[in-house]
Amino acid sequence: MTVQTERPPSGPVDVTKRDESGPAGPRRRAASRAGALTPYLLLLPACVATVLLLGWPLLKDVLLSFQNLNMAQLIQHVTEWNGVDNYKEVLTGEDFWRVTLRSILFTAVNVALIMVAGALVGLLLARLGRRMRVMLMVGLVLAWAMPVVAATTVYQWLFAQRFGVVNWVLDKLGWHSMADYSWTSSQMSTFFVVTVLIVWQSIPFVAINLYAATTTIPSELYEAAALDGAGGWKSFTTVTLPFLRPFLYATTFLEIIWVFKAFVQVFTINGGGPDRLTEILPVYAYIEGVGNQHYGMGAAIAVLTILILLGLTAYYLRIVLKREEEEAGL
Amino acid sequence: MKRKLISAIGVAGMMISLAACGGDNGDGGNKAGADGYAGQTLTVWVMDGSSPDQWQKDVQAAFEKQTKAKVKFEVQQWNGIQQKLTTALSEENPPDVFEIGNTQTPAYAKTGGLADLADLKSEIGADWTESLNESSIYDGKQYAAPWYFANRVVLYNKKIWAEAGIKDTPKTRDEFYADLKQIGEKTDAEPIYLPGQNWYHFVGLTIGEGAELVKKDGDKYVSNLADPKVAAAMETYKKFQALSKAPKDKDEATPQQGEVFGKGNVGAFIGMGWEAGIAIEANKKIEKEIGYFTIPGATADKPEGVFLGGSNLAVAAGSEKQELAKEFLKIALSDKYEGELAKLNGVIPNKESLQTNLKGNVVAEAAAPAAAGGGTTPLIPEWAAVENAPNPIKTYMTAVLNGKSPAEAAKQVEDEFNKRLSQQQ
Amino acid sequence: MKRSLFGRLWPNVTAVVLFIGFVFPVYWMFATAFKPTGDIISEDPVWFPTDITFEHFKRATGVDHFWTYVSNSLIVTFCAVAFALVIALAGSFALARMRFKGRRGFVIGFMLAQMAPWEVMIIAMYMIVRDASMLNSLVPLTVFYMMMILPFTILTLRGFVAAVPRELEEAAMVDGCSRAQAFRKVILPLLAPGLMSTSLFGFITAWNEFPLVLVLNKETEAQTLPLWLSSFQTAFGNDWGATMAASSLFAIPILILFVFLQRRAVSGLTAGAVKG
Repeated sequence: MTVQTERPPSGPVDVTKRDESGPAGPRRRAASRAGALTPYLLLLPACVATVLLLGWPLLKDVLLSFQNLNMAQLIQHVTEWNGVDNYKEVLTGEDFWRVTLRSILFTAVNVALIMVAGALVGLLLARLGRRMRVMLMVGLVLAWAMPVVAATTVYQWLFAQRFGVVNWVLDKLGWHSMADYSWTSSQMSTFFVVTVLIVWQSIPFVAINLYAATTTIPSELYEAAALDGAGGWKSFTTVTLPFLRPFLYATTFLEIIWVFKAFVQVFTINGGGPDRLTEILPVYAYIEGVGNQHYGMGAAIAVLTILILLGLTAYYLRIVLKREEEEAGL
Repeated sequence: MKRKLISAIGVAGMMISLAACGGDNGDGGNKAGADGYAGQTLTVWVMDGSSPDQWQKDVQAAFEKQTKAKVKFEVQQWNGIQQKLTTALSEENPPDVFEIGNTQTPAYAKTGGLADLADLKSEIGADWTESLNESSIYDGKQYAAPWYFANRVVLYNKKIWAEAGIKDTPKTRDEFYADLKQIGEKTDAEPIYLPGQNWYHFVGLTIGEGAELVKKDGDKYVSNLADPKVAAAMETYKKFQALSKAPKDKDEATPQQGEVFGKGNVGAFIGMGWEAGIAIEANKKIEKEIGYFTIPGATADKPEGVFLGGSNLAVAAGSEKQELAKEFLKIALSDKYEGELAKLNGVIPNKESLQTNLKGNVVAEAAAPAAAGGGTTPLIPEWAAVENAPNPIKTYMTAVLNGKSPAEAAKQVEDEFNKRLSQQQ
Repeated sequence: MKRSLFGRLWPNVTAVVLFIGFVFPVYWMFATAFKPTGDIISEDPVWFPTDITFEHFKRATGVDHFWTYVSNSLIVTFCAVAFALVIALAGSFALARMRFKGRRGFVIGFMLAQMAPWEVMIIAMYMIVRDASMLNSLVPLTVFYMMMILPFTILTLRGFVAAVPRELEEAAMVDGCSRAQAFRKVILPLLAPGLMSTSLFGFITAWNEFPLVLVLNKETEAQTLPLWLSSFQTAFGNDWGATMAASSLFAIPILILFVFLQRRAVSGLTAGAVKG
């Protein structure tokens, strides 16, 4: 598994440019004329799939968000349009805004932790001897490969109030009030467990890929920096960091998406509780929609959730847009 | 072992008599013809733990004999059942017959997803116990058939109680508390396992106090948790919960209280009779130590209030096998099989006349004295939404147990509670 | 410049601590699965299962239809990943190697598609499938899972395709291969590590998916392993032994696949696919 950066590696793209602008042989030109349709044909299956399997449900969801759809309407297949009532109710209520703010904070904290810790572990990997590196890699891969459903179950067991191993350790370390502590009893402790789980699962992805990326940094760059008298920190900021920047952007983008959508973890650990205090947007949409059987309302929250996610990633999407524009040489 | 054998003999007897029945019907010209239903399969959803395998097997045999059609039982979990049932009822092939909790029935009756069972009622339901049939009636129509009812009892570990020097089971709430205290002092066992969200027991306590969970405000139902009577019930709950090490924010199924009890280090718990089976499965040796008694009330003459949990059987309005489904109900609810269910599970049957089946059943005998004073949650369509997770009553309980005053806690969950009660339908 | 003892020691010490931190939950899952119930529900944790039992595994696999769940999960996961790879390969080749109008739009489009929060659209998907009379079938599951992983697969493969030196392809074409032949004979073998590492994401996603199958397929004949795992939690409350045994069984295929593919994937990464 790897990271897609916002543009393909620079080498091949340069080649592309040279091809197009340079004098091309007659054979090439003929081929390119015949193949003008080829890229579209190659992309056709992917586009059809996206429109049919993603576009359609999305459209359906938008339509549902303008309907009064509850148990009775669903069972009897009745369509009751109610205009923007759902949106009005959601947007004028306090809950939605509270959940939105919480979601954003939750995403920010988790992504920051994942990126910082992941990068540190990645750099540590680069520094370790071979044997230690392989050992740590094995540990990382195991954590990474744990299916979310299984991992979440395991964390519930680790943090169980009775017989949970975490409480036992804290108690033995002298923190006796933790002996029978219920991690699901408060908002912060629930978020703590969820965050540990998510960070634990996400660090390997960042760390291993970052390590892989550092191994591709040409050593000449460091040598040049050393000639300029750069120390460890200086060469890190002048060589390593700029080289890894696109990678870091791309990874952050992916982590934002994944953390923001961390439905299974939050929902399974404590169902958004206690007292609905740990609901993040996808969980809120699910509980209001499917859980409360208030499906039209759920659909409206879903649409708003999508818009907010778009907003959160807009910055990165703009960067991509610009890069692709430059590449295309337009 | 012995009980199994006895029931097996009983079943054999029933099958013989039923075979005779089937013959009669065939001769008498069944509406659908001798094999009018052959080749069809009826799907029946039953809830986990509600009907023993033996009962399912017997009913299946009888049904197949009489109708020539097949029946398929599918066991469902309570957790998330409403969401599953709603979507299922909207589909082309809904379950033909399904078990539905009595507190959830009115909401589904209102959706139009349940078939009208008026003719079934007039055919076989003349002597259904009226109070048990109440939840099946919505807007004057019969939307389900009462199946079985049950209330909670105290399951206790005789060995631990003897160890603590207690001779007799308690008759009043204070005695009960004193006994548990004594267990705490004289043994190293946990006196009672009572998690913070055993809300069915809490509902029972409110019924004992004569409290209502909701009240009418104009034409709407609103929360009545702020009522001092509800607070009194919660104080009782809290007093007993303080004797337990169980989590304050979990219900009795996480972890299964039967399993905790099965470890043999818990004096008692409040649960359904069949939960003993879970304990025995976890630890075979516990079987001979388990005893049952009625949950004691404030005074010796009146047991504690209990939640009369129960289930109805309903037919999906969208089912294409309406007639066959009714045939099934006639068999499943016949005196023979209704009685068998009561006998096997120690649950209250839908007719007074069948209560004789409970004779000698230790669970039923412990449960029976309280049943008369039992009650349910409000039987209104609005109620179903309250039970969807996160259930505000559970939130209320945990808040009180964690130190909030009942009034504060009632205030905290009021909005959520009212929102659910007034949710557009 | 000789490093101090501390300077040499701390990375290794940190590595060991991290290793324990990352491995412990996985270890604890397996350890719990093999312990008798008495050792699981015990006031002091039993760190190493000395008294090994298979009772929990028996209970976990003894569920009706267990093998149906297994085969359904395998079918759905493999088909979804295979379809996604084929479709994505074509698309990513166009995006990485060809110049055409609207390329930028396609890239952004797939990036947006990658963000789709599937969990919140479940009811919409349910109603579509219901109205198409496709409930309780593996087909909708397969295609939706395919779609869940398709955008990521396209965008990632694009990087791998771009990393294959264009000269190799040209050389093959000079040697008389058609473009398609060049693709099959030259690019595809070079892409193998990329395909494998990309497919890992697909395997995990499809193997794990839970909310959708819960709503779409009510009949056990069409259900998958995540439902079996979650049914454990509800049916047995917190019977940790059986739940951990089930989790172990659920995790093992992915763990194996990962350990096997990850080695190649990392070598694929170090080959330069990830540099940007």
